[in-house]
Amino acid sequence: MQSTAVPPKEARQTPALLGGLIGKILLYGLLFFLALLTLFPFYWMFVLATHAQGDIFSAPPPVWFGDYLMRNYDALLARVPFIRNIWNSVYIALMATVTTLFFASLAGFGFAMYEFKFKKQLFAFVVASLMIPPLLGIIPYYLIIQALGWLDTPRAVWFPGMAGAFGIFLMRQYIASAVPKDLMDAARIDGASEFRIYWNIVLPIVKPGLATLGMLTFIGQWNNFLGPLIVLSSRENHTVPLALRTLQGLIQTDWGAVLFGTALAVVPLMIIFVLASKQVIEGLTAGAVKG
Amino acid sequence: MQQRPGTPNDRAHQPLSTRIDRWQRRAAPYLFISPFFILFAIFGLFPILFSAYLSLQVWNPVQGLGTMRFVGLENYVFLLDDPWFWRSMSNTIWIAIASGLPQHLVAIPLAFALVMGVRSLRHPLTAIYFMPYITSAVAVALVFSTIFGTQFGVLNQVMAYLAQASWSAWLFGGLADTLPINWLGRAAYIKPAISILVFWQFFGFNVVLYTAGLATIPRTYYEAAQIDGASTRQSFWHITLPLLRPMIFFAVTFTIIGNLQLFDQPFILTGGTGGTAQSGMTAAMYLYRTGFEWLEMGTAAAISWLLFLVIGTLTVIHFYFFGRSGLETRE
Amino acid sequence: MKKFLVLALALTVGLAFSQTRLTIGVFEPLHEHIQLVLPQFYEMYPDVEVEIRTLGYEDHHNVLVTNLATGSGAADVVAVEIGYIARFVAEGGLRDLSAEPFNADQYEDLFVEYAWAQAQTPDGRQVAIPTDIAPGVMYYRRDHLEATGWTIDQVTESLESYLQFGRELQEQGVFLTVNAGSVADGLIRSEIPEGDGIFFAADGTPLLNSPRFVQAATVAQQIRQEGLDADIGAWSNEWFEAFRQGTTATELSGAWLGGHLQTWMAPETSGLWGTSEMPGNILVSWGGSFYGIPTQTPADKVDAAWNLVQFLTTNPEVQLEAFRSINAFPAMPETYDDPMFEEEIEFLGGQQARILFADIAERIPGVLTHPGDIIANEIWQSAIGEILAEGRDVQSALDEAQMLVQRRIR
Repeated sequence: MQSTAVPPKEARQTPALLGGLIGKILLYGLLFFLALLTLFPFYWMFVLATHAQGDIFSAPPPVWFGDYLMRNYDALLARVPFIRNIWNSVYIALMATVTTLFFASLAGFGFAMYEFKFKKQLFAFVVASLMIPPLLGIIPYYLIIQALGWLDTPRAVWFPGMAGAFGIFLMRQYIASAVPKDLMDAARIDGASEFRIYWNIVLPIVKPGLATLGMLTFIGQWNNFLGPLIVLSSRENHTVPLALRTLQGLIQTDWGAVLFGTALAVVPLMIIFVLASKQVIEGLTAGAVKG
Repeated sequence: MQQRPGTPNDRAHQPLSTRIDRWQRRAAPYLFISPFFILFAIFGLFPILFSAYLSLQVWNPVQGLGTMRFVGLENYVFLLDDPWFWRSMSNTIWIAIASGLPQHLVAIPLAFALVMGVRSLRHPLTAIYFMPYITSAVAVALVFSTIFGTQFGVLNQVMAYLAQASWSAWLFGGLADTLPINWLGRAAYIKPAISILVFWQFFGFNVVLYTAGLATIPRTYYEAAQIDGASTRQSFWHITLPLLRPMIFFAVTFTIIGNLQLFDQPFILTGGTGGTAQSGMTAAMYLYRTGFEWLEMGTAAAISWLLFLVIGTLTVIHFYFFGRSGLETRE
Repeated sequence: MKKFLVLALALTVGLAFSQTRLTIGVFEPLHEHIQLVLPQFYEMYPDVEVEIRTLGYEDHHNVLVTNLATGSGAADVVAVEIGYIARFVAEGGLRDLSAEPFNADQYEDLFVEYAWAQAQTPDGRQVAIPTDIAPGVMYYRRDHLEATGWTIDQVTESLESYLQFGRELQEQGVFLTVNAGSVADGLIRSEIPEGDGIFFAADGTPLLNSPRFVQAATVAQQIRQEGLDADIGAWSNEWFEAFRQGTTATELSGAWLGGHLQTWMAPETSGLWGTSEMPGNILVSWGGSFYGIPTQTPADKVDAAWNLVQFLTTNPEVQLEAFRSINAFPAMPETYDDPMFEEEIEFLGGQQARILFADIAERIPGVLTHPGDIIANEIWQSAIGEILAEGRDVQSALDEAQMLVQRRIR
């Protein structure tokens, strides 16, 4: 891989940035303001996880941590096998992520770097598949899963979407702008097969793109709720969102327990995010392949 | 492993291996994209045919599959003359634009500023902007119903402060008469409230996409520009924007498709009712209510096809104007 | 060792054959209740094993729709909440319990009249059995009542007196109610002519712009325009806070509200509350749930499923247990003689409120259920919302609602 050598830090000072101190202060002010707006609800989720349901619904609501954490924990565990639910979610999200990374980058590579018959039409088809409102699909989806004998199994959730159009489109765009064509020609002259080119040359270059896709897939699957609701019937197989929603009763919902579970379930997402953005940042600092 | 009749080193078989090689080069792209189409044939095709068929039927799902009744285009005729259908469509487009456009107008420069400007804080800030995307819907619902509250709502309190405080009254004083605003109760404010929520939830998502896109731009370009004496603004306009085009094209495509299918956020903020005068009801919500609450699956299927038509048309327009540059491949 | 294993296997298999495994699909708080009473059920039917499948309240009903549509996947016994029951009254999804082998009509007299009628198709088939009900009542703050010098009977004497009470409260800076919409909701459900439904006449004509609806909307609009209600959306933080702070004096609701106020919504207001009949002594049903058996439940499980339904709905002990543990008001009048109904409820200032609830429950007349009730209700909610929030003209809003419902009933 031929990436630009990383220049010493001082030399990397990018073009006379945003000149002047005032500009900088304004910029930082804006950045921190936005950060406040986005961080607060997240912080609040943790705060509410430490309160009883009655306190949550006061006005103004509590903004600092309460002492109800352990009771919310007990309430949650008394109703759902939550650790098991987390494991189910992790398993399904991981399977979805790994398969999506492979199939989407492969297809994205195909669409980005090759000329072939019907390419335009096929790509249009891929994009069009995203435009179908998913809601009505759930009855036929159930019928298919039933016909396959996959009811109440995790693969009923991750398998159908493992070559999703979102990932293909994202990887197509990323590969198209990150991988120079002459690099492929050079590899071909060296006798590499097309798959080898993908595996040995393209994949390493598009790591930041893969990291981004992986993270989005994992999170998307983690929060996926409609699919699991329809096909996962026993509570041992429930995923996190499903389990938490079983606490939502007719009139009364133990929101303290729900928010405790929500806060707990966000931890794996944060880990995934940190891992993925490390890749993206590395890609940024290394800069792209020379044009 | 079994012994193969010829190894690649075997000169006698070279014509064959050349043929194989030529074949694998020609077949490669088809093989690479085939998993999508295979999976689509298994899991995607049937639902589409099913809903196309369904849109020509009257069907109450709780009566079972065998009880459909063919009515031709009646469902479509019904919808084209249905006030709630048109209201939901115009709501959808209103919210899609009001929440979608600002997302990109903010996310692109923001990603640029994060990558180029505030190097040390880039990582934590990107993470923070992304938080709304991973904050669960439950927490979002609780938080935003509080933010939009009439008497104690944060938004109203901030606005009330701005309308009174000496330093800001000249600008915001006019608000005083309308406060406090019943954001979720009055028809005029529901769409803005939903749009604010959607913007809040997804601009960080786009920042992440654009940050990844910026990683494809060789740093040497900026360095060259800097040597030529270009300003930051010039670099942004002449290097970043053109080279970020594929990612912009991608992100905008998804905003179009995703925003026109908006469901969760309006559902949460209106408690599933569509809000006063149905002014917060999106097409996807109407589809859900028609199919799963009112059990008119045939009509719901027809809504999904009409919605598909709208999304398809807008996406085609988008591809027509921006597809050439948005789908280009780096040479 | 091997022999032992074979023996063990044979035993388990044998056991599995003699056991009927049932599933029951519910939402909270029914899950909690069933868990409590299952040991009793096992004593009566030791050869049955029950798995409780719980989902979120909305999710449960949506999944049920999908399962009935595909003819598979539903639990052997399913709970249906009143807001959804009209949908399942349509033929096909749930078994006709009036027919053999159930003959559910034998139980008709066990239940309050209106609850039984709610799960009945227009042609008289019973598709589900009521388990709990919610008579509509008015909760009021004793302190505010005293401050005005009124008695509760004076307040509820008529709608006019209720409004007048609100005007006097207004002078003291207290709202009559949180949202005028609940008054309108109560009014449309009362004084329904014999044979009609809430939204539809016996012949299926929608009634959304009939005098009953016009009057309900007009009264609600008057409350709003005079500023007598707090204009707060139900279930918002401010709604909860209003109960805690006592900024409103009355609330029309199901009898269940008291239990929630007491346990978590506003426990600190204990003793300040009372409960009474609704203004104008109108009789309204405000909630309830049912159990039914899907058509797809396999034939060899139907008997056990029916036993479970009977156990949950027609057993007074079980019904009383539900009242105790999850505050679900029994649908069976014979339970109303239980001593617990005479208990003085401290939260309600020592009132014997349950006697009042039971009395109301027995007097609520049955009304016709129409499959279009859900659509009609949502269209009505939308109309009243527009009338209250946007000040829209009552007649034009209701005429539009009538037109929308008419279009839907094709």
